[in-house]
Amino acid sequence: MKTYTKYFAVGLAFIIAPFLQKAGLISSSSIIVLGTVMFYAIVGIGLNVLLGYSGLISLGTAGFMGLGAYISAYLTQDLGLPFLLSLIISVGIPLIIGLVIGLISLRIEGYYLAIATLGVAEIFRQVFVELDFFTGGFSGKNAGYPDLIFLNLDRFWTYILIAVCLIGLMVVTHNIVYSRSGRALLTMRGSEAAAQAMGISLLKYRLLAFGIATLYAAIGGVLYVHFIRFAYPSGWNVNLSLQILAVVVIGGMRTIIGPIIGSFVVFGIPELVLKQLPIIGNIDGLAYIFTGILIIVVILFYPNGLIYLGHDIKTLFNKEKVNEKAVPDH
Amino acid sequence: MKKQCLTIKDLTIAFGGIKAVDHLSFHIDEGEIYGLIGPNGAGKTTVFNCITQFYKPDSGAVMFTDKDNNIFNLVQMKTHQIISHGLVRTFQNVELIHELSILDNLLVGAHIDFKTGVLAHAFRTKKSKQEERLLLERGEKILDFLGLLDKKDELIGGQPYGILKKVELGRTLMSHPKLIILDEPAAGLNDTETVELAKLLKSIRDEYKCTILLVEHDMRLVMDICDRICAISFGKKIGEGTPIEIQSNKDVQEAYLGKVDEDETDINIR
Amino acid sequence: MSTFLQILFSSLESGSVYALAALGIIIIFRTSRMTNFAQGSIGMFNAFIATFFLMKTGANTVVAVLVGMLSAFLSGILVDMVIMRRSKNISPISKQMITFGLIMLFLGVAPMVFGSSPLSFPRFIKSGAVTIGGASVTHNAILNISVGVVLMLGLFYFLQRTKWGLAVRVTASNEQTAQLMGVPTKNVTMGAWAVAAALGALSALMLAPAISVNVSMMDNVQIFALIACVLGGFQTFYGPVIGAYIIGLTKNLLSYYVSSTWGGALLYVLFLIFIIFKPNGLIGKKLIKKV
Repeated sequence: MKTYTKYFAVGLAFIIAPFLQKAGLISSSSIIVLGTVMFYAIVGIGLNVLLGYSGLISLGTAGFMGLGAYISAYLTQDLGLPFLLSLIISVGIPLIIGLVIGLISLRIEGYYLAIATLGVAEIFRQVFVELDFFTGGFSGKNAGYPDLIFLNLDRFWTYILIAVCLIGLMVVTHNIVYSRSGRALLTMRGSEAAAQAMGISLLKYRLLAFGIATLYAAIGGVLYVHFIRFAYPSGWNVNLSLQILAVVVIGGMRTIIGPIIGSFVVFGIPELVLKQLPIIGNIDGLAYIFTGILIIVVILFYPNGLIYLGHDIKTLFNKEKVNEKAVPDH
Repeated sequence: MKKQCLTIKDLTIAFGGIKAVDHLSFHIDEGEIYGLIGPNGAGKTTVFNCITQFYKPDSGAVMFTDKDNNIFNLVQMKTHQIISHGLVRTFQNVELIHELSILDNLLVGAHIDFKTGVLAHAFRTKKSKQEERLLLERGEKILDFLGLLDKKDELIGGQPYGILKKVELGRTLMSHPKLIILDEPAAGLNDTETVELAKLLKSIRDEYKCTILLVEHDMRLVMDICDRICAISFGKKIGEGTPIEIQSNKDVQEAYLGKVDEDETDINIR
Repeated sequence: MSTFLQILFSSLESGSVYALAALGIIIIFRTSRMTNFAQGSIGMFNAFIATFFLMKTGANTVVAVLVGMLSAFLSGILVDMVIMRRSKNISPISKQMITFGLIMLFLGVAPMVFGSSPLSFPRFIKSGAVTIGGASVTHNAILNISVGVVLMLGLFYFLQRTKWGLAVRVTASNEQTAQLMGVPTKNVTMGAWAVAAALGALSALMLAPAISVNVSMMDNVQIFALIACVLGGFQTFYGPVIGAYIIGLTKNLLSYYVSSTWGGALLYVLFLIFIIFKPNGLIGKKLIKKV
């Protein structure tokens, strides 16, 4: 239980927000932003397993999110299925597609993989725009707050649901990456030769990596559409995939908390901070510039993400303390 | 009657028309420390990779006898299936994982001994916790044997070379293999470290009851600890036997030193 | 027959657009060992600059294009000096991600400087067409195709026959050895970025009359250019160019004969299938990893 404390702490921090809002301390729109930070964090945690732990890149994340969102919206709105049943189907189908991609990825080397997933993302985008009986086409698709059979959620409870999902997935992912499976993924990333020599099947673990990333992306998409209650096709584009990639890179690869930080930076700060700034807050595209520069700066100077910034500050602090001690009194 | 552990029959592989390994045959008995030597470019690494199925030979067989006395032709297997039969290798470039601790790197060596899958790990079932504990103990025992127990939680990144080599050796022992194949284990080690390595390899053979195949350049190590040696040159066998026999083998001397004058036959390869 | 010829010429034109972008990507790839995903974005940005120049000074279209290419040349140098120089010890995947950051950067700066509404950029030759075998081909299209071909031939000549071209090829083959032999590799990589950016800008401006100058104008071209490189293999300079024309032709054929709405998506599906069977491209050579 001790190791999970930080996850519960993060979850709690998010859960406190709506209570602060009821007390009038933060605005109602901030809750929406925090909600989006949470489900993008979930998608980021999944992508981290693929990119950070397994060393594989995918630009199709937004497409899988969108697929989860549309299937769930369709099943709950058009077919009237209850939320939980719709959830299972809405993540199951993208999962299968993700596994197929994992299979294909075995044939493809590093930089080719990014390009191939780019192709996949484009196919998704095209499908979303064209299949308008399903996705509502350019005018978008509506959905409602989750209907859990015995309980119809409202915005407050949906927010809590997202927080609970986040905590749960953090714990589960932690368990996976600190186990034999996690070690196998890291070995696959570090040295395919060593992995094979140690009996790690590259096929099996690529499937695992892509499976987790796709599953979490689909979950994120479902949470998106039932919280925001709307989805339109041009939103699920490569730029979104890049933003989620930024979440992982900026926050901290190979940590569970990293994507939370990353999501807050990429999806939270632009809305909560940048837009409120005088003058420059009104500039179109400020968020992109902010994220773009951060990605570059982080990769060049903090390749493992901002989460290690805390570590470095601690070390710096300790070093200064030592220096103080080292200077003798004359 | 000595039991055969690994038998190489007529191994042949060519790259772009050039025969890197040419109808090579030799066998290793159980409990031996066996050396494969040859000058640069002789094809030692290629033979190594053909045995461990990182390359598929064009023809020939690699017959391995496992713990239950079943005989398999390794050529018919996929690379990642080799270890489950009891054959583990090391790498010239010491392929350890920088982001994992020393102990965790050892646990990777026991990957095939875990029976639990992702779902069990995800929900930390009793069985998966038990397995992890057991294999952690096994890893710690090996680290203790290697004298590295105090470093078990340190990350691999930043460790000195000598320690990396030891950790990789430890990793091979985790699955209690029948045969370990070492790719130039003395590469990059100084004299003292090499002597230590020799001692270590002999005690591994005695403690863990495994057979050892050594592909090596360092003659001192090879002559010191190997029971038998196979010497190759240009992919072909030029000699096989005990260290003394190999040392006095004219063909081997020629391969290493070039054609020698008749008067200078006593070259001690020390 | 005339329809087919029509498709052929239109494919040659779009193929030229893709080929110029693909050439930019492969030049950077072979000299800096990284895939530049921001090729389209840089082209887009400088297309805006050219259009703004045109709007503010009312100069000749060709002059505007040259201005756009020049500013692209400079932006390439800037990107190399400020960012790429510092990324020498970074893994290829991370370098790729730096270009993702660049995409976002240009995506954010463009509307900030140039506004969010699309701008129009005129053709080089405003009107006039010839009929070849029943197909109507505009003068502009012929110009585009010719410019593309001439530029590419010029670049290949440069690579094969000049001292600097040799320096590029040597750097592309093995940077360390090149440095040891006295080749100024830093200048080579900088020049590569500059030229690639200029090619991207030209590509964007050739495309501009058809779809107007806007932030997402080069999105499709970027993907097609990358696919062209995969198709043609990353091992040669000419491979991606051939790949680009193949893509142009395939896309038009699919759109016309199979389905105009699904033509694009089908192309990607075909591409994915192709990559499974020929992971190293049509011309690519497989490298055996040494263990």
